[in-house]
Amino acid sequence: MVAFLTLTLRFTGFNYIYAYVHILDTEGLQTYIVGYPSPQRQYNQKMDIDAILLSLKLAFWTMALMLPFGVWVAHKLVKLNRSRPWLEAALALPLVLPPTVLGYYFLVSFSNTSIFGTPLVFSFAGILLASLIVNIPFAIQPIQRAFEAIDPQIREAAQVSGLSNWQIFRLIELPLCWRGITGAAALTFAHTLGEFGVVLMVGGAIPGETKTASIAIYDKVQSFDTSGAGAIALVLLGTSLVCIALSYGIFGRNPSRHRGQS
Amino acid sequence: MLKVKISQTTPNPLQIALECAPGELHALVGPSGSGKTSVLRTIAGLNEPAGGKIECNSEVWFESNDVGDKVQQLTPAERSCGFLFQQYALFPHLSALGNVLIPLENSELNKSERKVISMDLLDRMGIANLAERMPNQLSGGQQQRVALARALARQPKILLLDEPFSAIDAPTRQGLYKTLAELRSDLNIPMLLVTHDLREADLLADRITVIDQGISLQTAAPQVLFQKPRNSRVAELVGISNMFHGMFDAGSLSWDGCQQVFHVADKGKIPPNARVAWVIPQSGLSVHNKPNAASVPAVVEKMSSLGQIAVIQLRIQDSENTIEWEASSAEVRRLNMNVGSQMHLELDGKQIHIMPLRPINDPRRFIDR
Repeated sequence: MVAFLTLTLRFTGFNYIYAYVHILDTEGLQTYIVGYPSPQRQYNQKMDIDAILLSLKLAFWTMALMLPFGVWVAHKLVKLNRSRPWLEAALALPLVLPPTVLGYYFLVSFSNTSIFGTPLVFSFAGILLASLIVNIPFAIQPIQRAFEAIDPQIREAAQVSGLSNWQIFRLIELPLCWRGITGAAALTFAHTLGEFGVVLMVGGAIPGETKTASIAIYDKVQSFDTSGAGAIALVLLGTSLVCIALSYGIFGRNPSRHRGQS
Repeated sequence: MLKVKISQTTPNPLQIALECAPGELHALVGPSGSGKTSVLRTIAGLNEPAGGKIECNSEVWFESNDVGDKVQQLTPAERSCGFLFQQYALFPHLSALGNVLIPLENSELNKSERKVISMDLLDRMGIANLAERMPNQLSGGQQQRVALARALARQPKILLLDEPFSAIDAPTRQGLYKTLAELRSDLNIPMLLVTHDLREADLLADRITVIDQGISLQTAAPQVLFQKPRNSRVAELVGISNMFHGMFDAGSLSWDGCQQVFHVADKGKIPPNARVAWVIPQSGLSVHNKPNAASVPAVVEKMSSLGQIAVIQLRIQDSENTIEWEASSAEVRRLNMNVGSQMHLELDGKQIHIMPLRPINDPRRFIDR
């Protein structure tokens, strides 16, 4: 396993990091052009637009795929009784585990796996899958809290009004936990933008494929390009702030709560 | 016609049998925790009983066989009952109109027809002008009117009311009573009302079923219930103040702690030499200044005046028994009555109602306390 890791680090993503460090050592602070073999791209940009776009793409897909899953799991969890604490604990694990530990397990388990012909290690599909798993608690918990906050009598009133379970979910429960869903969306999106350890472990830092904005910041800092790092950091800060503010403000207005239910 | 038989031991014991005719308002009365709300929820299908049968207009909603297997069990959505919750349970994200439209979701009518029906119902409730308001912009009484319109939107076969007026202030409640009375004659469906307020039940209901610890003790018209409770527990639950104990044998009742013996009607239901509880309505009591052949001496112990009505507590001489007598203030003045005055109390034996100390149906349960 160690041999495998070493090899993959040498020949794929991580060698960029080694290369930067090496070049910086010899060429000093003013190095803007990192000329290490990169067939497609030259890293001479002040701000790494590709990395930012990749981060946004990853965050978008993580959010888009995670939300329906989060709603489904949260809805099921609320109705469970005995097995619920164990399931909740398992789903919350990504919150407490160090990203490197998760990244290590993903790397090991993804190493010989591919989805639709795409290998999972050092590919966008791989970091997307890892990012999905890491975001499970961020997507589920706000939605679960929102489902739990619905008064049981509201569901019963819907039942005696003749609604089927699907209609209750669609017409009553989903609109009532709208705020939980937008909260989960914002958290998942912002958290994915900032994800570093797991993405680095599983994806390496292949430009345009797995090198996300937060990894690019790290790279820039390593290469003493503080202005470049600062520019990306500012974009990430702004994006995160905007998406959370949106979820709190525009989308997050909860339908007026019932006086008698509060 | 709604016919209900429920028997279960867990989670709370229930032994209920009741019937409710179309157009009848049937009240379930009992102390809190007696299981009256459970009965309503079981009929609606929100609770699942261990056994019994629930039948509405010859359609079986729930049935179990002798070994406890469920032969028939409809979901709440299939049962077609209007249910009014104590806390209204309006959908907080929908307007008043939106709430009333929800039960029409599965109807074959088109959107505009549904809206017409919903607006009509809100109009009948007198709140058509509030159709666009959200629930939190409505008062408690208005919310309960929306909830009532929602409960009726599906044209339910029965209407179940779970303490619908308990969270509403008294003046608003009067208006809702009126609305309910009007509905009752219009709808002609069985209506079950759960309440802990006896006055409310007396005011609204055709018949009352008294429930205690999950068991239906007596079903009767309000007047019958207050005058002739089936047993001492029913008398206690319906709040009869003048209830005493004694021995009954062949038409004569001896009062515990007194020398007095009354001659009361013997209907043959009480075994000879049995301990009984007995009640006497206010109309069977009279108080005099001078003794007569049938009177017992009594001392005025307490007097409280409630406007034109005075409640006098009299202690029977040489005994621990006290009796409450309600009279007009004028009558009290005429008798020149004060605390400590010696009076003579006459009880009309014909109006005494005697009851067994334990319910006739269930010999295991001693309920005299």
